[in-house]
This record gives sequence, structure tokens and C-alpha cells, in this order.
Amino acid sequence: MLKVEGLRAGYGAINILWDISFEVREGEVVAILGSNGAGKTTMVRAVTGMVRPSAGSVNFNGEELAKKSSRYILDKGIVQVPEGRQIFTEMTVLENLEMGAFNKPTREVFARNLETAYGRFPKLKERAKQAAGTLSGGEQQMLAVARALIGMPRLLILDEPSLGLAPNIVDDILDVASSMARNDGIAVLLVEQDITKALACADRGYVIENGRIALQGAAGELATNEHVKKAYLGI
Amino acid sequence: MNNNVKAVRAYRRNLSIALGLILLVFVLIPVFVKSPYVLNVFVLIFYMSTLSMAWNLLGGMTGQNSLGHAAYMGLGAYASCLLITKAGANPWLSAIFAMVVVGLVAGVIFYPCFILRGPYFTLVSIAFGEAMRQFIINSSFFGRASGVGLPFGKDSWLDFRFASKVPYYYVGLVMLLGIYLLMKKIERSRMGYALRTIREDEDAAAAIGINPTRYKVMAVVVSAMVAALVGFFYASYIRYIDPELMTQAKSTESVLPAVVGGAAYVEGPLVGGLIMIPLSEFLRARFSAMLPGINMLMYAVVLITVIRFRPTGILGWYMRSKVKEFIDVKLLKKPPVEVFEAVELEKNRGKGA
Repeated sequence: MLKVEGLRAGYGAINILWDISFEVREGEVVAILGSNGAGKTTMVRAVTGMVRPSAGSVNFNGEELAKKSSRYILDKGIVQVPEGRQIFTEMTVLENLEMGAFNKPTREVFARNLETAYGRFPKLKERAKQAAGTLSGGEQQMLAVARALIGMPRLLILDEPSLGLAPNIVDDILDVASSMARNDGIAVLLVEQDITKALACADRGYVIENGRIALQGAAGELATNEHVKKAYLGI
Repeated sequence: MNNNVKAVRAYRRNLSIALGLILLVFVLIPVFVKSPYVLNVFVLIFYMSTLSMAWNLLGGMTGQNSLGHAAYMGLGAYASCLLITKAGANPWLSAIFAMVVVGLVAGVIFYPCFILRGPYFTLVSIAFGEAMRQFIINSSFFGRASGVGLPFGKDSWLDFRFASKVPYYYVGLVMLLGIYLLMKKIERSRMGYALRTIREDEDAAAAIGINPTRYKVMAVVVSAMVAALVGFFYASYIRYIDPELMTQAKSTESVLPAVVGGAAYVEGPLVGGLIMIPLSEFLRARFSAMLPGINMLMYAVVLITVIRFRPTGILGWYMRSKVKEFIDVKLLKKPPVEVFEAVELEKNRGKGA
């Protein structure tokens, strides 16, 4: 579904990603792991067109997206939940969800998608008229995920959903992500620092170090890999 | 038709009557008020509030604080005056020309600076205003520091030229209402939503497929065009313009009605203008002869007090006040929120959604 090859990107003269290649198949949860500053968020921004890659290819269902605008990429079905949630705090919950359908293909089926999103996160329906900034951290993250679902993703990218959340809420969100992959055939790209949780939920994983893929493999293999244990789990 | 629908309709009718009455008062003022000075204050309110609404589209809705709006107004005034005096154009056509030219200039100048974020726009807007003023002072085509005058003559709608203040009063009122309706329309449109998301978080806006640069450029172009329209109105009214029109102080004046009235609301500049401009005029007329500058000092005290104690502006206070509750519930018979929701639900069911 998504095949990234030799991706290289950065900001101005500073290069962050040197050579990133990975693949996400339909119905799969793929974890991208790495510590702070490894290049995870830059990778997300390069795939979604918010940073223009200087080399490499981002192939999505046979179409090359590496030089396309973020809006075009979004319309093709790659939707992200950005790092740090980034909801619109002064707008209501419902308005936030409406913003998820800003572009035409999703606007026309907004009512149906809204019901689906409310079905997954019933709390949001109760709070529809409330300003999003008054939600708890977990609810805000749910809102960010729901806003992405309104955008009808074929590939959903979650950028550090665990950031600043209680462990049980992280579990809830990861459960939703894996159930979407298993039941609805949406591919999920999970970008995380919390390696234990990410590997527990993912099918496969890649480890980024210094802008390069250092390791890859099935989630179970990575969890028992000596290097991963030493460098990330401290055991 | 059930009681809920009736209640909502009754409220909407009461609201229309109330707004209609307020409008009627403004329409009738020149019939009863004959003093040119008082009429002049109203004209001042109309065009300064319109200018402030233009500012508010950027500063309030988009979160891009401009401190150069006098420059757009000034450029609009110059474009209009020069087209009239040098090319003999009709003033109304010159207004359209001025809006197009100033909109283009603003778009071209600010497109590159909107790629940057944060305070750069504000800094560039200050520099832009001063650069334009200096350019005009040094250009003989623009009449240098001595400015440009419009010809006087007998009253004419075609030439937008009157000895009396009454026609300017009505044109100013129409301009104000027209721009208000435009801003209201923008607020409720896709563009309005996009601008609000950009104000809140540019990254998040980009993540949901909004191009922040594009929408910010659209906002600055519309804002500059409205300011240019005000410039045209000002020039036709005063019939003389000079580079003093474009000083930093004038740019600041265009911000005040919005900030005092409530920058988060489209109505903010109207409320702020209606209060601050008569106040400023009153202080000047009453006190400036006693001690030069004392009126400005008093004005500043009022401003600082409002901003210190009501940072969301007069409307920000009003929206949560008992006064609003009284007006809504007792005078306009506004039904509770649940009734609106029930009606909304009923309507959606009708559509089969």
C-alpha cells in the first residue's frame, strides 16, 4: 500500500533523514520506533507532504506522492494525527470534527463519518458543543484521532499518541488503531517512543537511528532483539 | 408545527425587529441632527469602524497582527485621487481601481513573508507602511509632502461630491453595513473556518489539508482591499490627502476599535468604534484647549483600563454578562439552548439524515 524508498529530507541546510525505506501493507499496523531526535516526526512530515523530500520515493497504491502537496496526499487517503494532538482548542468538539472534512471528497459524506467516529468515541458526542480546550488530555487525543477518521484514511499515521497520556488511555487509543486495521482494512503507521506498547500492538516494526533505518522485523522479533533491549528498554 | 419551532421563530422575529429599530435610528439621525460637527463624528465612526473590520479579518480572525493598515488605506486614497485628477476618471470607478491595485500590492508584498511565521508579518507590516509613506513623500507623481487635492464643485452623485455631510453619512453607513455583511459571510464560509484554524495552530491546519500560506494571503488581500475602499471614501469626503494619512499612529488607530470592542467578534470593531471615536472627539473638543495633549492622556487611560480589565474587549465581557442574559431572555424571549437543539434535530430528520 505505502512503499517508501530512499527517503531523504530535512529543514533548509540541515538534513535529518538520510535513507529511509519501509513498507506498510493493507490491514497492517506498522511501528516506526526511535528515540528523541531520531527523525520520526520529520519522516511523518515528509510522507504527508508537509516537508518536501530532497530525494527518494513515496509510493502509495502505485502513485508517486513525493513531490505532491499535503492537501493532495490527504485527499489520496494518508491522514495523520499530528504529534502533540494539535486540536483547535477554542473551537468546539464538533467544529474540530468538521475541520477533518475540510476537503471535498470527505465533506459530502461527513454526516455518516461523524456517526462512525461518535460510535468509536461516544464521549465526544456528549461533549460536541464544548470547547475542545476544556477536554482532558485523553479526550483531546481521542478527538485528534476522530478528526483524522473523519478524513477517511486508508493509511492512518499516529505520531506519538502516547505523549503526555496515562498508560491506560494510551492502551485505549492503540486498541482503536489495531481494531481499525483488523476490521476495516485501514493500514496504521504508528510512530512511537514507547517501544513496549508499540510493539505489543504492531505487526511489524522499523527502528530509526540518526535518520536511517537501523533495524526491521516482525514485532515479536524486535521485542526480543538484543540491540533493541539494550538501547531502548534498558534491559 | 410544535411549540419549539414557534418559540424559535418568535425569537428570530424579535431579534430582527430589534436590529431593524437600531438601523432605523441610524437612518433617521441626519433627519433630526443638523449639526455638521455631530454628523462628522458619525461619518468618522463609519469609516474608522470599517477600516477596523478590515484589520480584524487579519488580526482577529487569522491571528496576524498588522500594524500597517493606514498604508493600505492611504494607497487606496492615492490610487483613487490620482486616477481622478490625472486621468479624469469617475470616482466610483477609481474606487474599484484602488481596491484592485492595493489588493495586488498587498498580495505580492506579503506572499513571501507569510511563508515565515510568528511576528514577522507584524514587523513587515510596520516597515511596509513606513516605506510607502516615505516613497510618497519623495515622489513628485504622488505630490510629495504637499499631498493631492480633489476638485470642488457643485453637488453631484456621479462625482461623489457634496457640500453637505448628509450624503457622506448615508454612503458611509451603507459601506459599513456592506463590509459587515461581507465579514459575517467570510466568518461562516470555508475561508473563515480555515482562518480560525490557522489562528489556533498552523501545523494542525496543515495536517488537515489547509494551506496556511494561501489562506493568509487571501485574508491580507481582502483586508487591504477593504482598507483601500475606506481610503477612497476618506479622500472623497475630506477632498484632500497627504502622506500624514499613512503614519504609524493612523495604523494604530485602525486597531483600537477592534481590540476595545472585542477582536474575536466580527461585531467587535463596530462596538469599539461606536464608543471610542465619540469619546476621542469629546475629549478633544472639551479638554484640549485647557492643556494641549491632556485629551490624548485621558484617552490612553481609558484604553489601558479597558485592556487591563477586559482583555477580550467590550463584547467579550458582554457575551458572559447579566446584561446579555436580560436582553436575550426578557426582551427578545430567547428560548433555552435545548429548544434550538430540538428544532435542529427535527429539521435534520426532515432531510432524512
